[in-house]
Order: sequence, then structure tokens, then C-alpha cells
Amino acid sequence: MRNAVNDLEARLDRIRGAAAPRNHNARTIAALTSNPGCARRAIMDAAGVDKQLLASRMGFPTKFGQSQFAIGRGNAFETQVKAGGCAELLRLLREHLELSIPEVSYDNLDEVGGNTCREVRHARTRALLARATRSDQDAGTLFDHPLLRLQVGGRPVYLEPDLIAFRLRNRFFVVEVKSFSVIDGQADGEKVAAAAIQSAVYVMALRDLLAELGLSPDSVADTVVLVCPENFSNQPTAALLDVRKQLTVLRRQLARLERIDTLAELLPPALTFDLRLDEHGIPHRPVGELTSDVRTVPARYAPQCLASCEMCFFCRDEARGMTAALGREVRDELGAVELVQVVLRLADGSLAGAEDQAEAAAILRAAARLRSECLGGAA
Amino acid sequence: MDKLRADVRHAMIGGDRIRAKEKRAELRDVERRWDEALARLGDDPQQAADAGARAPSPSAAPSRPAARSAVLLPVREQVHQALTLLGAPAAPRMIAAVHEAFYAGRLVSSRLTSLRRDEERSFRAAPYARPYYLCAALTADLLSPARGLLAVSTWPMDRRIIGPLSPRVDYLTAAIAVAEQLERITDPDPNARRLLWRFAANIPRAASSMRSMTPDVVANAARAELAVHMDADSAHRTAAASRARSQLDDAAQLFGSGLALSRQADSSA
Repeated sequence: MRNAVNDLEARLDRIRGAAAPRNHNARTIAALTSNPGCARRAIMDAAGVDKQLLASRMGFPTKFGQSQFAIGRGNAFETQVKAGGCAELLRLLREHLELSIPEVSYDNLDEVGGNTCREVRHARTRALLARATRSDQDAGTLFDHPLLRLQVGGRPVYLEPDLIAFRLRNRFFVVEVKSFSVIDGQADGEKVAAAAIQSAVYVMALRDLLAELGLSPDSVADTVVLVCPENFSNQPTAALLDVRKQLTVLRRQLARLERIDTLAELLPPALTFDLRLDEHGIPHRPVGELTSDVRTVPARYAPQCLASCEMCFFCRDEARGMTAALGREVRDELGAVELVQVVLRLADGSLAGAEDQAEAAAILRAAARLRSECLGGAA
Repeated sequence: MDKLRADVRHAMIGGDRIRAKEKRAELRDVERRWDEALARLGDDPQQAADAGARAPSPSAAPSRPAARSAVLLPVREQVHQALTLLGAPAAPRMIAAVHEAFYAGRLVSSRLTSLRRDEERSFRAAPYARPYYLCAALTADLLSPARGLLAVSTWPMDRRIIGPLSPRVDYLTAAIAVAEQLERITDPDPNARRLLWRFAANIPRAASSMRSMTPDVVANAARAELAVHMDADSAHRTAAASRARSQLDDAAQLFGSGLALSRQADSSA
């Protein structure tokens, strides 16, 4: 067993090449769940490949990451919510979670005596949370920027939730501060979904930590508190978000990363995405060779990839002329038909289609007939 | 003017940025008056022609001298004023808001970022040379400087300690201080009421809206919540304060001990 794990590690190291592995964060872990069927992404993430550098070497650079303005805005809102010993947040928690008046204890874990090193902060987070769970009295309510750790693909990843609140009905709650606004009780669905999955990552990491301390996972609530600006003001408002579904998805994805060996076995042994960086970080590997290696690993492109994957432009280019490039719904409808060209020929009846394409062909011909009837002679 | 220019130069070379800023403000003021005097001399022949164009200036003039005199007050004096009013360690943003609400002139919170370090340098160069220093609040567990908080060195040690409950206690203390100050003023600045509302909104049963808010109700609500936390918090604070007095040297008592600080001390030694 040990050997198998070592083999896989060595295999992934070879795929990544000489560069140091990229670290995950809550955003990248959340992105793992957006396209679970993509083998290319799974392999690259497991090996810790720098996808951004790889994509730009192949001629498909992406501008990924948050804009400076978004980061600035997010930080300003978070500072506001946490000002004066989390004064605004306390009001929200008292309103929404019936936090009692004496529970106002606040611990800042941003640094430990001026030391911002991750290991020190993680150790301090552990110590404080352990104290909070063991003591009968109130030994901590709000923990600002705790540092948690989660094992992803066999490597520890440090995660920093905005805040953890404790002793609300004797459970830990993850609080996530986001700067997108909730207008008239409604927020952008995609953003809420992204926040939910990120918070689920934190819930999971917190459960891991408490499990190490010998506590049951139930001590972390599976609802998270989402704090957002209300309407067009800067006034914060809070909502409870159920992340049970996201937790299941994440657990499955992370388990899949652990089972990456089955995927890796299908690949040619000499495969590598090494860019052959020199000491100045400039890649020297021939583009053609690299591209053909990348193409060996099948991708599953969908337009949604554009929002979450650094390889998206490369995969989109590769998927041109495929039904998948038109979106997941189209691909699912057309089942066995992969090429747009074939779809058109099936529709106009110039191609009979194989047996497994019969159903799709019938639908396509019906659609073509309806279209010509609707448009009459105009089409 | 020449003397002032020389002063600015000396202050810059000496690395005293706050003093340099004061002197530059003075210099700008003198230069402006010099310009105005010259303009008046030149204007005299065509005073009639200019009368229309200069009409708005007299109405704007009365508010300006007061604002100017406050700006001439050194930043540390302004911060000291605001902190004394609050009576508790506060973040630069809060200090700026209090200053804007109750004192003339504007205090930009970004100017306060380097203040603590400047004060520390000054203290280490000549200990106790100034009547007070703007110093750090200390965390109760490690006695390290609490992030982003300013305090006054003449306060008792336990007021400068930040335990787990202290952020809330200090918030309520500040709310009471602001409410009391508002009660003393007959015609408060709208900014002052807005500041109190910012506190009141987050204190249970303090006020339901900014219009119906009255300072004494806010103060009483804050006192009621303060009474809940007071005992536990002061126990933390006294314990940590006596530890700080016995363990730390003079500079560390004011500016905190920590890994970053000791490294700084090594390099300067």
C-alpha cells in the first residue's frame, strides 16, 4: 500500500516536473467541484501544476484571480463589519442566532505576538479552539481569521475563514463576509453559490481540526452565516446558508482526488507537463511537444469553465466544432453526437447516423422540420 | 519665510516627519498670506472691477481661521485630544471620526499609521522627554502590541490591556464618552450625532432610529451592557497589567513586547 502511494506521488511529481507544487486555497478547492468530470483538471490539480503558466506557454494566457478593486472593496467591508470588536457583527449574530449578551469575547488570530507565520497561527488557533471547547465558562466566542488546515490530495492546505463564532447553541458557526450586496432580500445566485461552497471548505477544515481534538463533527454547524451589504448601502445584513449539499459534493471531490491513481494509470508513463523553467522562471519546453502531452489527457470543456479554470481558453479552442462547446444542456441532449458538423448533417437528413445516434437524429430532424415550418420560405 | 524653509529642511534631514509637516503647514500659510498681501496691493486700482468676483469670499472667510488653527495643532496633539475624549484605546479610523465630530479641522486616519513607530523612536532616543506618548495597547496573553490600536502612555496600565472581552468593553466605554460629550454640547455637529448613531445601532435597546436617538438613553443602554462584561474583563486586565509591570522594561511596557520588536531592538543596538 505504502509503495502504491509512493509510486503515485512519484508519478505526479514527474507530471508536474521540477517546479514546486501550487498550493490550493478555498477558491481553488471550491473550483474543483465545478467540473468533476474533467480528467485534465483533476490530474493537474492533484499534481499541483501551475495551470496559468502552462496555459500561457501554450499560447492561451488567462487573466485569472480577483481584481484589485474587488479585493480592496472586500477588505474595506470586512474591516467595517469587524470594527470596534466586531460591533456590527455582534448585532447581526444577536438578531439572527440569538447570541446572548455576555458572549462578546473576541480573539484576533491574524498574528501571534507580531508573528504571522502560518504554523504558529495554526497552532494558536488549535490551542484557542481547544480551550473554548473544554472550558465550561465562556472562553471564546469570536475568532477572527483563524488558520485551519485541510488535507487535499495528500498535501496540507492552509485556509483562513473570515471568522468563526462559537457557543451559539453550543456549536461552531463559520461566518463568511462577502462584499456583494443583497438587494431586496435577493443576491446574485452565482455569487451566493460560490460563497456557499467556499464556506463549506471552511466547515470541512474546521471539522477536521475538531476531530483531531477528539470532538464530533456535529459540533460544527452545517449552516454558515453569510454577511453582505444590504441594498445599496454599506449596512451589513446576515443570512443563514445551508451548506449540506456543498459538503457532500466537496467530500466526493476530495475523495476523488485521493483516488487519482486510477486516472493516472491510464496515462502514458512518460507524460509530463514540465515547462523546463530556467533560473529566471522562463519556460524552455517546445510548445508543440507540451501541447501534444496536454492533449493526451482528456478534458471535458463546458462554457462554465471560463469562470473557474485557467486552462479554459486552451480547452475551448480544442473543443471548437464539438457539441460540448455549446453548453452542458446541448451536450446532454445530443448524447452520442459529438461534432456540430454531424449534428447539422443528421438534421438535414444527409446522414443516416449510427444506431446509438438514432434517438438524437429523430429529435434533430423534428427540430429542423419545425424550424422550416415556422420560418416558411424565409429560412 | 526663509527661516521656516530652513526649519522644514532641518526637520526632514533629522527624520522628524511630524515636525516637518507642521512646519510645512506654517510655511504654506505664511506664503499664502504673502501672496494675498501682494494681490491686495496690485488690486487697489481696479478694486471696483473685482468687487463682483470677490463677493463670495467674505462669507467663506469666518469658518476658515478656526479650521486653520486646528490644522496647525500637531497630529499627535489632535490624536491625544480624541483619545482623551474616548477614554479607551481606539483604531485610527475611530480617532479620525471622533476628531471630525467634536474638533475643528480634519484628521486623516492614514496619517496615523506611522505615528506609533515615530513615538516609539522618540521614546527610545530620549525616554520620558515628552509629557505623554501615543503608545500601543497590549494584548493580555502575550503582552504584544495589539494590532491597529493607539493608546496614551499616561493611562493606567490596565486600561491599555486588551483581553478577549476588552474590544467590546472599550467600544461601550467609547459610546458612553461620546454620548456624554454630546449632552454637554448645546448645538452639536451633525457628524457628532452620526458618530453616536454608529455606536447606538449596535448596542441593544440604545435607539431605534437616528432621529429618535437621545444621548442619555444611549449612554444608559451602553452602561447596562457594560455592567455585564465589566467584572470578567477587569479581572483579565488587572492580572495582565501586573504581569506587564513585573516582566517588561519601560519601552516594552509602552510599546509592547514581541518577536518583531525584539528584532528591531537588536538591529538598533
